[in-house]
Amino acid sequence: MQGLFERAFIEPFHRLAEQLKVVVPGLMTVVVILVAGGALAYVVRQAVYGLLRMVRFDRLAVRAGWAEAIERTRIFRSPSDFGARVAQGAVWLLIILFALSATGSPLTEDLLERFFRFVPDLITAILVLLLGSVISKFLARSTLLAAVNAQWAGARLLAGGVRVLVMSLAVVIALEQIRIGRTALLTSFAILFAGIVIAAAIAFGLAGRELARGWLEQRMRPQAKEEEEVFRHL
Amino acid sequence: MDNFLPSELIARLKETGDVEIVAGIPSYNNARTIGQVVRAVAAGLGKYFPECKAIIVNSDGGSKDGTHEAVLNAEVDHSALFQVTHPVNPVRRITTAYAGIPGKGSAFRAIFAVAKHLNAKACVVVDSDLRSITPQWVELLVRPVVDREFDFIAPYYLRHKYDGTITNSIIYPMTRAMFGQQVRQPIGGDFGISGKLAARYLEKDVWETDVARFGVDIWMTLTAIAEGFRVGQSYLGAKLHDAKDPGADLTSMFRQVVGSLFGLMETYEKTWQSVEGSKAVPMFGFPFDVGLEPIPVNVERMEHAFTQGTRDLREIYVEFLSPGTLAALAECARAGDGVTFRLPDKLWVHTVYEFAAAYHRRAIDRDHLMQSLVPLYLGRTASFVLEVQESTALEVEERIEKLCEVFEAEKGYLAALWRAGAGKEKTHAGTV
Repeated sequence: MQGLFERAFIEPFHRLAEQLKVVVPGLMTVVVILVAGGALAYVVRQAVYGLLRMVRFDRLAVRAGWAEAIERTRIFRSPSDFGARVAQGAVWLLIILFALSATGSPLTEDLLERFFRFVPDLITAILVLLLGSVISKFLARSTLLAAVNAQWAGARLLAGGVRVLVMSLAVVIALEQIRIGRTALLTSFAILFAGIVIAAAIAFGLAGRELARGWLEQRMRPQAKEEEEVFRHL
Repeated sequence: MDNFLPSELIARLKETGDVEIVAGIPSYNNARTIGQVVRAVAAGLGKYFPECKAIIVNSDGGSKDGTHEAVLNAEVDHSALFQVTHPVNPVRRITTAYAGIPGKGSAFRAIFAVAKHLNAKACVVVDSDLRSITPQWVELLVRPVVDREFDFIAPYYLRHKYDGTITNSIIYPMTRAMFGQQVRQPIGGDFGISGKLAARYLEKDVWETDVARFGVDIWMTLTAIAEGFRVGQSYLGAKLHDAKDPGADLTSMFRQVVGSLFGLMETYEKTWQSVEGSKAVPMFGFPFDVGLEPIPVNVERMEHAFTQGTRDLREIYVEFLSPGTLAALAECARAGDGVTFRLPDKLWVHTVYEFAAAYHRRAIDRDHLMQSLVPLYLGRTASFVLEVQESTALEVEERIEKLCEVFEAEKGYLAALWRAGAGKEKTHAGTV
């Protein structure tokens, strides 16, 4: 009877206790890491916010054109707030990774290794997107201004097209960097780009061949003086 | 000071010795017209300053059309000029290539360096493509410097009422409102300068900037005014020059001239903010009327440019124009229909001032900013042309005077915008 009681209750309890003896310290370590890390993340956020305010990061963000985009999300109160929360998020990520590695399990170790190999590519992709955004906006604006000053009717369409094209290129490069759908993406982009080029060539060369001829003749031959206004602006 | 002058030139200057007047002619491929200019200048120096030792300096940007030879071979027919006195010292000529960034500014720098090297009392600079220059221009630009101790003499030309619209609608009113002196043509291109002022120009560290390329005229005028030099202007009659590029890119002109003006407002910020009102500058020469050929103007095209600009560039304008100005411009575009199209003075002044403030705080890329002003300027020009098409030259000058008064009256608006600086930037006081 006593043996049955031991086998049914005591031994499972001992086995559980043995397992808990192995698991609990690790769990306690994770909890301590998370709590301490959370506090650290909060301190970092405060510190980064103060630093960004001191260097007038808000003004820089307004000038760079990011401020409006950040405030439109209605999540962040200001560019400095955004920067502080990004820093806090980065600290949290490190804390979580640290906590995971503290468990010592082979699965988490493998996960960590793959994550750390992915991080540089992820950072590069984010930078490519940011740069692409800035460049596409600048080029689109330059195109818009040149087209408006040349009094082209489709100035906004042309500028929008430039922006979409440049941003698409940036997205393709970013996704290619993090190896998401590489082949499909590159092929789609190539088809799209080639399609645009062929369509433009057909439109200009075939449908608009008289216009194309006139434009080329104008470029190749010496220009005749304009017959209208000759008044000087200066 | 002159380490950018070629060593052969320095050697020749040493041989020349000190002079009283340096006449500078910047050039680049002007063989067709520069001979006439050199003859006029040489005749002017000989006729009006026979006692003075003078030199003509052609500062060239690497011409390949024979400009150099045209300068050296230009002969003056003194008998045709009925000269009573004859030059004591023959007027020497030097032609040299300038160093530095290609542009009129670099050419002027070389001329000023020659003037300083030769301890010249006066320096006169004229464009190399002038067709209406006479020997008397030399006297009118140099005499006030030599005899009356003026430092800077700007030209005063008689122009068609539709000519020089950037000057009439932006440069002249702004120069007057900001710096308090009514120099009618601040970017005329032909100037008389004292040796003292030429030396001052050389001290400035601008020769590797856009000033060296294309902003030198407005820079010279505003530097002379802002730094307290004695400024006057001389009546030269009509200015006709070789229109090499009648359809010259307006966008480039804006970047060059208006951009330089806005940049100089930053340099002399304290000066213009302390100036109130304006006063006339002394005028030399005898004002006479000249017949001017009528100039055709395509008002419809300009109005269309304005309408398209206010519509298509709205996303850019919202970043720095006030809502009131933006709405008023849109209303002008909507309401105008050819003959009745008008862009009121106050609206135009506010527009220019908001652009100047946006330039100062770098609201957007400065090149883009200047380009975006072009359609609005064309609208203003169209409005002006429609308004004065039946007016005489005198009435047009009175009209421009009224515009200048509005620029002066609204200066406080600009000062407030300028001080606000970060008016469009939001700061957040929230805690984390």
